[in-house]
Amino acid sequence: MERRQFFKTLVGSGLLLSTNTGTFLEDLFAFKDSADLSRVEARYYKKLPDREIECQLCPRNCRLGDKERGYCGVRENIGGTYYTLVYGKACTANVDPIEKKPFFHFLPGTRAFSIATAGCNVNCKFCQNWQISQVRAEQVKPLDLPPQDVVSNALNFRCPSISYTYTEPIVFFEYMYDTAIEGRAKGIRSCVVTAGHINREPLLHLVQVVDAIKIDLKSFRQDFYANYVRGELQPVLEAIKIVHQSKVWLELVYLVIPTLNDKAAEIRQMSQWIKSEIGPDVPLHFSRFQPMYLVQNLPPTPVSTLEKARDIALAEGLRYVYIGNVPGHEAENTFCPRCQHVIIERVGFQVNKIDIKGGKCKFCHNPIPGIWA
Amino acid sequence: MNESKVAAIRGRGVINHAGELNRLKLAEMIRRGLQILTGSPNAEESCGQIFARNDRIGIKVNTIGGRKISTRPEVALTLADLLIKSGLHERNIIIWDRTNRELKEAGYRLSSSSNGVKVFGTDMDGAGYDTELVSHLNIGSLFSTIQTNFVTASISLAILKDHGLAGVTAGMKNYFGSIHNPNKYHDSHCNPFVAELFDSDLIKGKHRLSVLDGLIVQYHRGPSFHPQWAEPCGVLIFSRDPVAADSVGWRTIERLRAKKGLPSLQDDGRVPTYLLTAEKMGLGQAGTDQIQVVEDEV
Repeated sequence: MERRQFFKTLVGSGLLLSTNTGTFLEDLFAFKDSADLSRVEARYYKKLPDREIECQLCPRNCRLGDKERGYCGVRENIGGTYYTLVYGKACTANVDPIEKKPFFHFLPGTRAFSIATAGCNVNCKFCQNWQISQVRAEQVKPLDLPPQDVVSNALNFRCPSISYTYTEPIVFFEYMYDTAIEGRAKGIRSCVVTAGHINREPLLHLVQVVDAIKIDLKSFRQDFYANYVRGELQPVLEAIKIVHQSKVWLELVYLVIPTLNDKAAEIRQMSQWIKSEIGPDVPLHFSRFQPMYLVQNLPPTPVSTLEKARDIALAEGLRYVYIGNVPGHEAENTFCPRCQHVIIERVGFQVNKIDIKGGKCKFCHNPIPGIWA
Repeated sequence: MNESKVAAIRGRGVINHAGELNRLKLAEMIRRGLQILTGSPNAEESCGQIFARNDRIGIKVNTIGGRKISTRPEVALTLADLLIKSGLHERNIIIWDRTNRELKEAGYRLSSSSNGVKVFGTDMDGAGYDTELVSHLNIGSLFSTIQTNFVTASISLAILKDHGLAGVTAGMKNYFGSIHNPNKYHDSHCNPFVAELFDSDLIKGKHRLSVLDGLIVQYHRGPSFHPQWAEPCGVLIFSRDPVAADSVGWRTIERLRAKKGLPSLQDDGRVPTYLLTAEKMGLGQAGTDQIQVVEDEV
């Protein structure tokens, strides 16, 4: 049986695709049949004269002639109508611990049915998943996984949530949005893992249908965004504020890269901004960098650097500050900010103990913000 | 840097009223262009100056625009014929772009014959992209194995047209089709990416000749086809200097725009700044005072 058909059969029958904590990658660049790309009209774009369009999904606002693709590589202008090429075309699907995203205050200890399509609207030089994010739609083999099948799989695998992750779900917005609605109707929540490089209007719509969003704040400097992300800082900060003002649960990740964004002053400034604009209760994860993609000349982040960053954020008044990608570190645990007891004990993605009852610390009854059930 | 030579050859009657190309005339134009560039008495000797007998030649065409505004198959095949007549083996010639679909839509007949001229895209079974990520300046890309493994000498045979971001898409930007992620390099009017991609060893080290297909030039609203802004110029532009070729292509577009009362690319906010970047990188000459344009008509 051809490999693609094999996986489709597994998905269709609800059998397990993968329970490991890594993504699986189909043969890259082996997929050639453009007839298998979707042609679903995109949302958030404007038609212009002479068959041009302007995409309005993200701050790039790509202006495209006929037959041109957006920066993301998965949306195309065909004859003056803009299409998403990846609707229902996941390039990877996995069952992951929710802590892997990472979400630490959203349904801890549960698993998320996690999907992604090809594509991304930024180009981080340190991208961990560049083989699927920095490619065009036809360069990875898609799994036919329409929204209702995503939800069925979540139910079959007993996942209380669906996660849109690995690449950049903004670029498969329509697929994510429709799946979230289907999921909600069946009692399945949705959580989004994103760089937050999105325009205001689509984000305001997205927060109506999902339950949690984790935003990667890559740096607190525009020059870093320009040189290492090929994006803009300000829209990401706006996105963080919009999510915070909505009912959606928000967590932030800051990947600490030695010499590039690890200065104390920058971390302090960022922490102060988070405290004043978002509040002290938003979980902030300082994650360890590993050499990857186009940044191979730097070492992994020293643990002491991560600890220093955490100390700065705590000193600035943030209450839930974590260290990521250092399995076994005590900063993976959740501490009650009042009594300092460990109320969620974690090792890596494994949750060993949860001492939260009714949304409160079991020991001192201090309310702990999050979505616990 | 010495002055760069560009040959601009017009073919009288190369396109008839039905839009069909006269291949004999095309052959004459190509021979003449190469003769002017190399100073050789005949085209066969010209090819001998540019290519080695055992070179494997990649003729990189640009077919994203469809039949109406892509490198014309007649031009590519006529060029291939000339290379064969000059002593290069046909099995060592490939006409290529990124996808079979785009080549077919542009009018090419695909062929993977082991003995004849090959015509196929990177997405052909057995081709694909090299797995080694090439990181050069701001470029981080996988290259087509056609460029990395097969080609030893490259010809950029590009359609000359206006581009909404870069200003002009011509011989240098044609190489965007050799990498897996060209969509990532359209920021800032494709600058410095066009120049930096060309500067990579896999391109610069193999590129030998730029030929711009200016038989019909889209001078506004490119890169897609709009007949109201497409002019049948009947010109082929040749140069061994990739920057100079593109620079002459740019001036051609500006002349056409001025003739039709359109703003210059500068006034339209999209002067092809990549040319200056390329010149600063030592890839060739962009300024008109450093370019010798030899015009002829056949």
